[in-house]
Amino acid sequence: MNHDELELLRTDFCGMDFQTPLVLLSGCVGFGEEYTRVVGYSNRDVGAVCLKGTTLEPRLGNPPHRIFETPMGMLNAIGLQNPGSRQVVDTILPELDFAETRFIANLSGSTLEEYVEVARIFDDSPIDAMEINISCPNVKEGGVTFGNDPEMSARVVAACRAVTDKPLITKLSPNQTDIADNARRCIEAGTDGFAVINTLMGMAVDIESRSPVIGNNQGGLSGPAIKPIALLKVHQVYQVAREHGIPIIGQGGVNSAEDAIEFLIAGASAVGVGTALFYDPLICAKINAGIVAYMNRHGLANVAQITGSLRLNDAGGSCS
Amino acid sequence: MNAALSQRETIFVEEAEILAHDAHPGDQYTLRLQAPQIAARALPGSFVHLTVNAQRPMRRPISIMRVDAQKGYVDLLYKVFGEGTALLAQNGIGDTLNLMGPIGKPFEFHADKKRPLLIGGGVGMPPMIFCADVLRQDTNYQPFVILGSEVPFPFQSQPSEFMVPGMPGGVIAAMPLIEQWNIPSRLTSTQGYPGCHDGYVTDLARHWLDSLADEERHEVEIFSCGPHPMLEAVARLAKEYDLPCQVSLEEFMACAVGGCAGCVVQVQTEQGPAMKRVCVDGPVFDAYAVF
Ligand SMILES: Cc1cc2nc3c(=O)[nH]c(=O)nc-3n(C[C@H](O)[C@H](O)[C@H](O)COP(=O)(O)O)c2cc1C
Ligand code: FES
Repeated sequence: MNHDELELLRTDFCGMDFQTPLVLLSGCVGFGEEYTRVVGYSNRDVGAVCLKGTTLEPRLGNPPHRIFETPMGMLNAIGLQNPGSRQVVDTILPELDFAETRFIANLSGSTLEEYVEVARIFDDSPIDAMEINISCPNVKEGGVTFGNDPEMSARVVAACRAVTDKPLITKLSPNQTDIADNARRCIEAGTDGFAVINTLMGMAVDIESRSPVIGNNQGGLSGPAIKPIALLKVHQVYQVAREHGIPIIGQGGVNSAEDAIEFLIAGASAVGVGTALFYDPLICAKINAGIVAYMNRHGLANVAQITGSLRLNDAGGSCS
Repeated sequence: MNAALSQRETIFVEEAEILAHDAHPGDQYTLRLQAPQIAARALPGSFVHLTVNAQRPMRRPISIMRVDAQKGYVDLLYKVFGEGTALLAQNGIGDTLNLMGPIGKPFEFHADKKRPLLIGGGVGMPPMIFCADVLRQDTNYQPFVILGSEVPFPFQSQPSEFMVPGMPGGVIAAMPLIEQWNIPSRLTSTQGYPGCHDGYVTDLARHWLDSLADEERHEVEIFSCGPHPMLEAVARLAKEYDLPCQVSLEEFMACAVGGCAGCVVQVQTEQGPAMKRVCVDGPVFDAYAVF
């Protein structure tokens, strides 16, 4: 890609300079280095990399099986396996090359206090931003039980806000009644951005053993199967977020440049790629090229011109 | 140092043409793919992560059975297990499959363990065949291979030309390829296939181990791949005879580069239990840490 094409992709997100609008999603790319094993892959192809969900203490995670392919998607129940926030800050962050991309921590916990402690630890680190994961469906406490309760979501956001000035991105759950209302509360509580959506809860059954395939019984559904749901949720959150200038990382099933552009049109400022990396580890460079081609075709000068450019059909109903 | 950092650019992505694709009884297939980058670097225990079909975009991990670095191909053996592998079986010669590889920590041979015992079961046979292919090139080693299967073997067996100590009468069936390499092998099954030992791989291994003198037995290291219950039995056998033992494990995989923690197995470490990723921390593990 030449210099001019690279310039087209440059995107501002919460004051961070993203070299492309793509964000690698938490839980799919370990702690930032794993995919660099692949020849032809580069962290420079994305604006930011979200690290695996990190809790205060180390967690072993859930028993196997943790993943299972479903039609055009997959279930996962990893259970937030991670070495604990201290270890991440002390031994993993120093080895990351911050010249390659922006790195975002994914804050996870079982209690409000745990989120705050983890935020405090990352605040005193070179991490570029923090994503509050109040939408993990795979842990018994915290996670989605906070994310599905607007009151609790707002309290977690406010408490993290109080201990850091780094950009805070709140990752919303699709497993709730009124995502827009939740978004409104999180904005009041001081979030700088949103990630929409996390996985949907699902199950797969082994008909011979009659047991769920996933060790944790239920898991989070991701991949192309969830894209239409994710697009509508991004559109709904955008209705609320745009008046406050709060940007969104749209995500859920992005598997091509066309998918990414759909999310931008629906209201996203950046677009997450998770499950699709499992399909093709070199997909980000292809998505970038496809976005550039689209921008050239439409005479666009920057990605922000695509964000929220959705033209609703007059005859249609409202999307909330 | 972060393990991944030292392994930058070690996994290749290749659009690999199918050179041969043969069906065998029991829904088993052998697949030869043109993948020179992977063939040049694979080691026994390495696997590839391959795309089977656009309708099932998740890749499947499959162990490498053999490589020819000069000709640039890799050989795989798989059994149709679910929708993904059923779709894989529909690909023909000339079609291409997208491969990532070679992936994983390979088997390690130790010069003082001159008598590697290779035990493979079902679709766990390939890594043992790869081990034999490498060991035959080093005169230090005198390997013995035991292969077990409950469906017909994916090759025509032949009577072995090698005497193997401790073999029960009539247990003469061997794998031709391994015979060609001047390595003794024997086959087992409970299905009553001619020339095969009627029983489990571990029964036959026991006969062999019992026939060795003490000094010889101290030179044995066990390498194994196969179904989980078989590996458990192999690990028990190793413990009973106090022999080192490496096993190659399987688990569902998503990324196969260490990024998702979807493929873990619980192992014992000095610091207590830990969850290790089969894709990059394995697939080869010390049997004593797993079982
Ligand atoms: C294996 C796996 C692990 C995940 N772990 C996390 C996590 O630790 N924290 C988090 O906020 N989201 C996690 N997610 C959700 C993703 O970050 C993403 O929001 C979701 O998968 C939707 O995007 P996709 O369809 O592109 O994968 C995980 C997803 C997968 C597939
Ligand atoms: S398959 Fe993702 S860590 Fe092994």
